[in-house]
Amino acid sequence: MNCTECQENISPYLDGELDEIGSANMRTHLSVCAGCAKLCEDFSVILESCRGNVSSEIIPPNSQALWCRINNLIESEIKPEVVEEPKKTLLSRGWNLTFSQAGAAFLAIALISSLLTVVGIRNYFEPSGEDFTSRSSASQTTFEKFLSRVGLTDTPQQAREKRVKEQQAAIDYWNKRVQQRRGQWDAKIRDAFDRNLNLIDESVSEYTIILQENPDDDLTGEMLDTVLNDKMDLLREFSDL
Amino acid sequence: MAGFLKNRFHRFAGKTTILLLLSVVFFFAPLEASGQRRFSKTYPATRNVRLTLTNRSGTVTVEGWNRPEVQVQAYLENPAAAINPQIVDGTILINIVRDNYGRGDIGSVNFTIRVPFDAAVDIETKVGNLNVSSVRGSLVRAKISSDGDITLTNISAPMVSAENGIGNIFFDGDIQSGGIYRFTSMSGDINLRVPFNSSFKLIATAPSTRRINLGSFSGGNMRFLGDGRRVTGQVGDGSSYLTVTNQRGSIAFIRR
Repeated sequence: MNCTECQENISPYLDGELDEIGSANMRTHLSVCAGCAKLCEDFSVILESCRGNVSSEIIPPNSQALWCRINNLIESEIKPEVVEEPKKTLLSRGWNLTFSQAGAAFLAIALISSLLTVVGIRNYFEPSGEDFTSRSSASQTTFEKFLSRVGLTDTPQQAREKRVKEQQAAIDYWNKRVQQRRGQWDAKIRDAFDRNLNLIDESVSEYTIILQENPDDDLTGEMLDTVLNDKMDLLREFSDL
Repeated sequence: MAGFLKNRFHRFAGKTTILLLLSVVFFFAPLEASGQRRFSKTYPATRNVRLTLTNRSGTVTVEGWNRPEVQVQAYLENPAAAINPQIVDGTILINIVRDNYGRGDIGSVNFTIRVPFDAAVDIETKVGNLNVSSVRGSLVRAKISSDGDITLTNISAPMVSAENGIGNIFFDGDIQSGGIYRFTSMSGDINLRVPFNSSFKLIATAPSTRRINLGSFSGGNMRFLGDGRRVTGQVGDGSSYLTVTNQRGSIAFIRR
């Protein structure tokens, strides 16, 4: 299975609609392809949060009738077309610029295009295979720093916090499922599960403390992401026992 | 003289029969005494057959052999546990978790499975050891959700993945050009025995212990990052990818 096939099948896989072989192929690919695994995980988190919000959505009692009423209102408010005289455009008004204005405009354009070129080149020569969520400000490209400074994107710390929150939501969901099932497990399974969960929790605590002391530690950010995924996997895999 | 010989022959035959009977009794006695059940079945295998096994608890041993068939032997600790292997499109599917869903104590199921050398092997269990040997198919994947050791010996596959929680991982096999190799553990030792002339790009991470022993692969192309928590680099022309992560244990390379 290649990445394209895997990504096409992520939705049916998560919904449990694939047959045994399809699921096995997906599992195999996800275990060796970090990119698809991350996509699948993100998708899973979105699905879980959507499932959690279903009950809070307001559904009108008769949606068809409501749509008819809206449609009638729109139709009644459409006015007959009025032929308007064409307005004067910027070009038709002409360029009434002084020499100094034209010079300033030229300089501004030159400065902006030079800046964009420099940013583009730096960005091109600093390719990164890392996940943006597990990166520190030290390894950000200039363009990314600029975007986060003007508030267009999250800083690495914000992105990490957001991701941890999403992972925690999924962990809570699977943990509830596990709590419902674990009464039926034998002692051996229960001990093994608890031992592994405790070990993961210890790692999560350690990495969290390190990140509080040094938020720019890329590697610890990445490891925290990994152990939270491991925790999610452990809970999910034991929830079907 | 003839009478003497006849008498000796009868005595010998009598002893042999008793011995045979005793061996039969002793062979079956442990299973009966402990209440185990034995399952054994052989399936014809197509070329590049795939084995997909999901176990709950117990040891799984998969061995490659020079026969176009798959032999499945299972010892079920609890005789009431269900086992229903299926063959779908040349894949042999065994899923103890699904077959026993909603049932409490089904005990351990220990497998010994023989597959053709060129088989793809995809096995996982919640608890227990996984052993795979003498397989050179397109894939070897072994996953233990919690406790257990993974031992992969004499493996020659382009895709190898071994993942466990608490336990050791040992890999002894080839690193093929264009291959992807991934070994992940929470705690335990990861030992990789690969040929000296292997070629790969390496990312090895041991964040807690920082015990990464590259053996004969250490050299100029390797870089230690994050205060020795990670090693990245290239061996040979770097034609394959090798990713090793051990959260709380060590990583060691051994020359083959």
